[in-house]
Amino acid sequence: MAPQLTLQAPLELPPQDVSDYLGRLWSGDQDQANGASTFSLVVWQPSWIEQHLVRLGRLDGPITGLERPELLQAARQATPACGLPPSTSPLAPELAWQLGQLPGEASADDLRGQHVDPAISRHQPRRLITLAPTLEGQKHLETLVAAYCPLPEEGPVTAVCGDVVVMRGGMGALEQGLAMVNPLIPAELPCWVWWNGALDEAPQLFEGLSQAPRRLIVDTAMGSPARALDVLCQRAASGQAISDLNWYRLLSWRENLAMVFDQPGRRDALAHVVQLDIDVQGHQPVQGLLMAAWIADRLGWTLEETGRAEGDGITARFRRGDGEMVQFRQMPVPVGEPSTHPGSLVGLRMVCKPEHRPPLCVILCGETGGCMRLEAGGMAQLELVEEVVVSTIESVQREVSRTLRGGHDSTNPLLAACVPLASRLLPR
Amino acid sequence: MTATLTNPLRVGLRQERVISPQCLVIFGASGDLTHRKLIPALFDLFRQRRLPSEFAVLGCARRPWSDEEFRQKMEVALAAKIADDPEAWSTFSSGLFYEPVDLQKQDDVVRLGKRLEQIDRQRATRSNRTFYLSVSPAFYGSGCRALAGAGLLADPKRSRVVIEKPFGRDYASAQELNRVVKSCGQENQIFRIDHYLGKETVQNILVMRFANTIFEPIWNRNYIDNVQITAAETVGVEERAGYYETSGALRDMVQNHLTQMLALTAMETPGRYDPEAIRNEKAKVLQAARLADEAEPWNCCVRGQYGPGGTTSDPLAGYRQEPGVDPNSTTETYVAMKVFIDNWRWQGVPFYVRTGKRMPKRLSEVVLTFKEAPVHLFDSSGGGNPGANQLILRIQPNEGADFRFEVKAPGSGMRSRPVDMDFSYDESFGEPSDEGYVRLLADAMLSDPTLFTRSDEVEAAWRLYTPLIELIEQQPWQLPVYPYEARTWGPAAADGLMARDGLLWRRP
Ligand SMILES: NC(=O)c1ccc[n+]([C@@H]2O[C@H](COP(=O)([O-])OP(=O)(O)OC[C@H]3O[C@@H](n4cnc5c(N)ncnc54)[C@H](OP(=O)(O)O)[C@@H]3O)[C@@H](O)[C@H]2O)c1
Repeated sequence: MAPQLTLQAPLELPPQDVSDYLGRLWSGDQDQANGASTFSLVVWQPSWIEQHLVRLGRLDGPITGLERPELLQAARQATPACGLPPSTSPLAPELAWQLGQLPGEASADDLRGQHVDPAISRHQPRRLITLAPTLEGQKHLETLVAAYCPLPEEGPVTAVCGDVVVMRGGMGALEQGLAMVNPLIPAELPCWVWWNGALDEAPQLFEGLSQAPRRLIVDTAMGSPARALDVLCQRAASGQAISDLNWYRLLSWRENLAMVFDQPGRRDALAHVVQLDIDVQGHQPVQGLLMAAWIADRLGWTLEETGRAEGDGITARFRRGDGEMVQFRQMPVPVGEPSTHPGSLVGLRMVCKPEHRPPLCVILCGETGGCMRLEAGGMAQLELVEEVVVSTIESVQREVSRTLRGGHDSTNPLLAACVPLASRLLPR
Repeated sequence: MTATLTNPLRVGLRQERVISPQCLVIFGASGDLTHRKLIPALFDLFRQRRLPSEFAVLGCARRPWSDEEFRQKMEVALAAKIADDPEAWSTFSSGLFYEPVDLQKQDDVVRLGKRLEQIDRQRATRSNRTFYLSVSPAFYGSGCRALAGAGLLADPKRSRVVIEKPFGRDYASAQELNRVVKSCGQENQIFRIDHYLGKETVQNILVMRFANTIFEPIWNRNYIDNVQITAAETVGVEERAGYYETSGALRDMVQNHLTQMLALTAMETPGRYDPEAIRNEKAKVLQAARLADEAEPWNCCVRGQYGPGGTTSDPLAGYRQEPGVDPNSTTETYVAMKVFIDNWRWQGVPFYVRTGKRMPKRLSEVVLTFKEAPVHLFDSSGGGNPGANQLILRIQPNEGADFRFEVKAPGSGMRSRPVDMDFSYDESFGEPSDEGYVRLLADAMLSDPTLFTRSDEVEAAWRLYTPLIELIEQQPWQLPVYPYEARTWGPAAADGLMARDGLLWRRP
């Protein structure tokens, strides 16, 4: 289904008038429409890569902020032009930085926050506030407001409307505009803040927007691993609800690994793991570390030491409950067709040496990556279980939609439990 | 034993099926089912973090309780569960509300709509509602009409109705109820409950059949000699005499539970594992099913009624002596019958179905008996012919499967003896399976219809038993109710039903 435009052309208002205008919009006898008792969503939408590709004439406008196929394709084509290795993901922040070095003056309409992806509008957010920083850092603040009614996919029309607010401008202007965001968030409804960018950019805005009890949606595949893990740790420890899209993308890997040990005969092998190897795409380690930390946490291992391995890898030693050691090693590997998300898991190998039985070697492989490295170096006389992990490739809007579909005011306990360990695994 | 370890990697994965913010409206909130099953199941879901934070339960019935009274009543009923986790109860119970509603009064239902809007604002439940009709079946139709009349079913994405069993009393009344229900909403908004479908092993029948390539090639008349489906209860009629006197075992158990087990066992492979594809196949196989002798049903059906029994220290009353039961009652508490399925796969394979109260054991199972090997090459260790191979799908207790087959006995010589290959659900899938209502409530709130019965299935099931129902109503003497002693496996006539085919019921 095509993204939905707002109902009316958005109205540009001076920032100080927005709140009043919205109040008026919903007063009157629109009793029904007023009742969208859902949630509000605040989106940090820098779309740096999209903005640069449009500026360079490599992508047609308008700028929408949506992860659309043409954007990904243009980004993939731009990677070699920027001198980046082929494994670079099309959404990698280093691509944005490199594109920023190239000259170009093309422009297009900027409709960020005005195009609502149906995956999100189907949840009928009561208010959608988009912060859209411009490439031009000095640009003043523009505020746009519109009512919108998601078109129902089928069935009788029960128009439950919401509104959108767009704040657009240079970084400085957005920081100044921060003060107007808080009063716009309906206090009685849950509020999600989706930080659709690297966590190390605009820290002041991040702090300002992401106060508890707002629920955060972040993507630790983007930006500095240390900063991403620190944010996860702090927020989860404070009891705030934080969802990490990078963690949700591990679901099929976790399912597959769990499934291997559903067989009663294999269950006992989990107590005798001696080695864990993980391959990730490129030099973004967070997803791999979350996977390792989840396994370690579920199996009751404690971290003994961690360090760097040759080739930008990470090694660590865990101690099992029975005192025995587990060797861990995570390596970045080049892939021909990189996934959209930096640092996606490519392969996992777990070796168990149960007593009185041949060793068990479990290898999980991503669909596209291939796991030649993990398949090499076989052991004699082992039981080999090899599974292919089917990844569901979804746009980031759909991933966010899943989070919005449910709703918890606290962090998933499994994530909360493994994040401190993942953070300590990262050599600093 | 390693097999009893749980799988630590499984923990929490079930939470990934996300229930959306919503308000669950229970009609019949002051009734037995609500405090015995529904609220405990919801509290379990809450403790497993499978309910969203934006969630509310609105209890409705005629008596004028307040929110607080409703919470207190539930607290008393769940005391034992709450003791484990009082903090969780205090959060959970803050989402319990109550509204006096008489489903017969349209004004009440309109007022309910207002209350729901208020709850939506209070709990951010997004106008998303599941209506659970846990009231007398007499109100299913009028209840749906009242909800539709108040506009509460208008949005098919955001409203659904769960209907308790029994759905109709016979083919005609089920058709009529379907007609009413369908006029109130779309089929995909209607969730007709069958408790046994909530049992994971019933779903396991599906998984076992279709995920294991070893079974599919032999799951037909070429290899299977007969199928027995049993649902036995140890209890008597208990406090349900009023209801049971008007229902009997045929309506209470056979038309729904046993028929579902029959359908899942006998259905064709669905093209894909999706709810509608499965329900299509179930409906089809039920449409192909018929009583072994429709013209003279007394040849293929036996009814029974439990008499007194037990021991001197623990005597058990007979059905006719139970409080609330007519001392001359001819209601059956036991029924056994033979059914054929007229399709390519099952032509000529008899399905024997039985259920009863006051049996020696509480269990439900499906037993597939394979044809014997054409020539007996080996001596059986016990002497005589080797027992036929049997696959036993246990639904309860101890959900799982046994495969009884012949292996070479230890020692020299080619002797064989039967061996049981046991597989239990809890052991094989790292986490214990959900209690029936937990699964059913979760699925209804997720709008997943797989485990609910569709209108054509319900009607096909009633149609199958119509010759019997008509006979019982019009010429009951043709189908006498044989007495059987409590805690035995039913009347001797039921053994006769099998003996005529040279078979025995499996003694579990
Ligand atoms: N209990 C079980 O184990 C069980 C098992 C299988 C199926 N079921 C099915 O589940 C349903 C409920 O069973 P139950 O045992 O809970 O019945 P129950 O104890 O008799 O409860 C009936 C409920 O309906 C309410 N009610 C009666 N008339 C009403 C009306 N006009 N409007 C609104 N509410 C009304 C009653 O409360 P007020 O008097 O306050 O209105 C009461 O809360 C039935 O359909 C039954 O067939 C129950």
